[in-house]
Amino acid sequence: MVRRWTAALGLAALLAGGAAAAVAERSDGPPVSGPATFDGRFVFARIRYADGYAGGGFFGRQDLPWSHDYPRAEQNLMRILDEVTLIDPYLGADGGTILTLDDPNLFKYPFAYMSEPGYWTLSEAEEEGLRNYLLKGGFLIFDDFHGDDHWYNLETRMKQVLPDLNWLPLDASMPVYHSFFDINSLDYPRQYEETPIFFGLFENNDPNGRLIVVANHNNDIGESWEFSMTGWVPIDISNESFKFGVNYIMYAMTH
Amino acid sequence: MFETVFEFFFKYRPIVFGEGTLAFRPTVATFVAAIAVVVIGVVTLRTYQRVRANTRPVDRTVLMVVRLAILAVLLLCLFRPVLVLSQVVAQQNFLGVLIDDSRSMDIADRDGATRADFVTEQFGGEESPLLTALADRFAIRLFSFSSATNRITSVDDLTFDGTRTHLAQALTRAHEELAGVPLSGLVVVSDGADNAGLELSEALVPLEAAGVPVFTVGLGRESYSRDIQLSRVDTPRTVLKGAALVVDVLVTHNGYAGETVSVQVEDEGRIVADQAVTLPGDGEPATVRVRFTAADAGARLFSFRIAPRPDEMVTQNNERNSLVVVEDTREKILYFEGEPRWELKFIGRAVADDENLQVARLQRTAENKFMRLGVEDAEDLVGGFPRTREELFKYRAIILGSIEANFFTPDQLRMIADFVGDRGGSLLMLGGQRSFAEGGYAGTPVAEVLPVVMGATAGEGEDGFFIETGVRPTRAGATHPATQIADTEEASGARWLELPPITLVNRISDVKPGATTLLESADGSLVVLAFQRYGAGKVLAFPVQDSWMWQMHADIAVDDQTHETLWRRLLRWMVDGVPDQVIADLPTDHVELDEPLALRAEVDDANYEEINSSQVSAWITDPDDEITEVSMEWTADRDGEYASSFVPRKEGLYEVRMEATTDGELLGSDTAFVRVAPSDAEYYDSTMQAPLLERVAEETGGRFYTPDTVDSLVDDIQTVGGGVTVVEERDLWDMPIFLFLFLTLILGEWGYRRSRGLA
Repeated sequence: MVRRWTAALGLAALLAGGAAAAVAERSDGPPVSGPATFDGRFVFARIRYADGYAGGGFFGRQDLPWSHDYPRAEQNLMRILDEVTLIDPYLGADGGTILTLDDPNLFKYPFAYMSEPGYWTLSEAEEEGLRNYLLKGGFLIFDDFHGDDHWYNLETRMKQVLPDLNWLPLDASMPVYHSFFDINSLDYPRQYEETPIFFGLFENNDPNGRLIVVANHNNDIGESWEFSMTGWVPIDISNESFKFGVNYIMYAMTH
Repeated sequence: MFETVFEFFFKYRPIVFGEGTLAFRPTVATFVAAIAVVVIGVVTLRTYQRVRANTRPVDRTVLMVVRLAILAVLLLCLFRPVLVLSQVVAQQNFLGVLIDDSRSMDIADRDGATRADFVTEQFGGEESPLLTALADRFAIRLFSFSSATNRITSVDDLTFDGTRTHLAQALTRAHEELAGVPLSGLVVVSDGADNAGLELSEALVPLEAAGVPVFTVGLGRESYSRDIQLSRVDTPRTVLKGAALVVDVLVTHNGYAGETVSVQVEDEGRIVADQAVTLPGDGEPATVRVRFTAADAGARLFSFRIAPRPDEMVTQNNERNSLVVVEDTREKILYFEGEPRWELKFIGRAVADDENLQVARLQRTAENKFMRLGVEDAEDLVGGFPRTREELFKYRAIILGSIEANFFTPDQLRMIADFVGDRGGSLLMLGGQRSFAEGGYAGTPVAEVLPVVMGATAGEGEDGFFIETGVRPTRAGATHPATQIADTEEASGARWLELPPITLVNRISDVKPGATTLLESADGSLVVLAFQRYGAGKVLAFPVQDSWMWQMHADIAVDDQTHETLWRRLLRWMVDGVPDQVIADLPTDHVELDEPLALRAEVDDANYEEINSSQVSAWITDPDDEITEVSMEWTADRDGEYASSFVPRKEGLYEVRMEATTDGELLGSDTAFVRVAPSDAEYYDSTMQAPLLERVAEETGGRFYTPDTVDSLVDDIQTVGGGVTVVEERDLWDMPIFLFLFLTLILGEWGYRRSRGLA
């Protein structure tokens, strides 16, 4: 994994590994996180999928790609959301909830985020769960992945879920980039070797219709959320990443 | 029976005594005889006082009283009582005979004979007994009456196809026509099924004042042994295209208790609903709730019917038609949400495919930052929540999401209340942290119009109210159109109980007097949906913060339409009947050919204040697309009300478009429709209406008859009637009652003596 900000790499990976360890330590079964009971507030839902090998790992621990940037990415994004908008988000120490795609509780949180979809595996129950989630009105962000292999995996999985939908490139004129902040350019700073590019799945493949899935390909916006408080990420980039995050959430809640 | 017995004893019928005055005509001989009777009486008294043998005082008293009573009867007869009567002079007076010429006269409910058969039998020609008897004493003037009243020369002119029965009009017309001649009275031959809706008293008072008695002959049965009738069908005059209509049909019947029949609804040839109903006991009405969708736009004629039974006496009353204007308009609703939350997204999605609802969403995303969705154009709501009445009153309904009262200026809060009270719009407040009491609405003008009593808010340091609960419909909610979330009432009620729980953060337990609760929490302690009418509009409280759960929850199937159905029906019900600036108001959706149609318009300015100086015209398009302009004038009775009338000369559907302008500027227009066709009203409630006919007779000094009692009609008219009369005296001394009394007293005395062993 070659990162642009090599200085941040070591500690970022350490923190990510620590987060994963923290999650793993909480239970032998599914991780427990998020509000104790549903109370109607906005809650950031991170998707957990079957742990596959993502390479890396520290101190003999297996890397958990779905947990990258957890929990500080969502913690920070929720703080920003609370600060700049009138959304009343869940602000627990874990930043949000962690759910599998076949968990019925996922349907209480119509905004979801998945990290490293390049390693995403999908059971039949998860496939049906995600399909229902998106068709009913859920919204999903894919982030922190790059290259053709990762894209191929994502594309294959989503074809299983919604075979009729095709990935369409997003551009800055679309409503999602103006739902709160005006993002007038998608020239996002490189975090991988490849050029960041944004794709979306639209209801009925209509680019003027409802956007239901966003893929931040060749991107790791979540990492910018995570390290925004450390000073390791230039403030401009942090700002941009939060703008994307806030806009995605605002769009999901209004469209 | 009473009359026969009375006449047997008293020689004349009660009506004769009622009309006459009692007098005595004694002669000299009478006084001589009277003296003799008095002497006898005195002798009798003294004799009884003296006799003592074998008698007790009581015996003597009884015998003395009986003997004196016998003498009193004799004395009364000797004084020759007479009844002084004013009798109509034969052939010097006129008599108006008004014969019902309406369709209901063709109903065969007299042992297989029709009501019209009686008319033919009794008035059909020179051999007809009643007509002959009347003609012997009076100059007869025949009239036919139904929709109109006409002079006829004989009953051959009757057609019995009139579509209305205007009894009041007929009485007035006949009275006017016979005003210059000596008139003994009017005879009305009818089933009394008056359906003109006119005030009868106005016709009766002049007759009473002029001393013209009306003699009514009631034809037909007072109830049918076997009949089913669609007594009432309540449909809205105007609905939005695609509206799910819930129509109450009132079915009455006799003779079919326990049988199951089917109420069908036909939309111009297509069956759109079929609802079975088991008929209750005889005479008990059954209300049948029929559901169907107004799928096609335009003026639609819906027919409601129950298939005639083979042995029904009247089959024409099994069907009713209703003209419903199905509008294909896009009704504007403003939804203002004070904090980003899922409700806005999911409500927007629920009604996105409804072409007749335009929900403009104003989302506050941050302080003084707004997002506009579903707006009409770039300028729409660009300044945030409307600041003028004119801007706000463009909408037909407002949804207030989680938005605190402090956001609004006092004037805006007043405007929202006036939106309901003055403009006649609908207001819905959703639950949330910034709604109801939690939003600081207590004491504001908006709180005044809300249908619920707001609960107390959490105190300092306390957790706010929060509950997750299932929802159930109340009795009213089970049948209310806004809360029908399935095709049938049963399915809707069951579906509500299956829905996943929602959460509430506003504690609302009570509704205001006059408000109706439609949905409540599973334990019945909290209000979930309530409404009330306020002024000209409707106000709803829906203190739920996440109805989107009914779309998103894991238990809800992907293709489930419950959430969509609820919001569409709720919003459609909210905008239903919300007035525009110009309202074209026709009192009826159906008139007959040549029957004047009243035109009425209500005109408001942009602030929905009545305006009296507008130029209002009605553009009437007849079935052949010929257009007539009728100018309408302010009535001066009510502000903003304009009226005129129009007489249709063709059968078919008429379009009436009313347009109002002020200073050359169009205020608005509205279109109504009316059907010009023969009426079936004659067949409804077509049993003989004896109370009405009795009332007509009683108030004018006449009498009511049936075919069984009509024989005395002629004599009665001669006794009671007006016109040229002579005074006549009728002896009463020879009444059988005197002989009866005389004999009874003598026999009584004899019997008493025998029983006491007296001589």
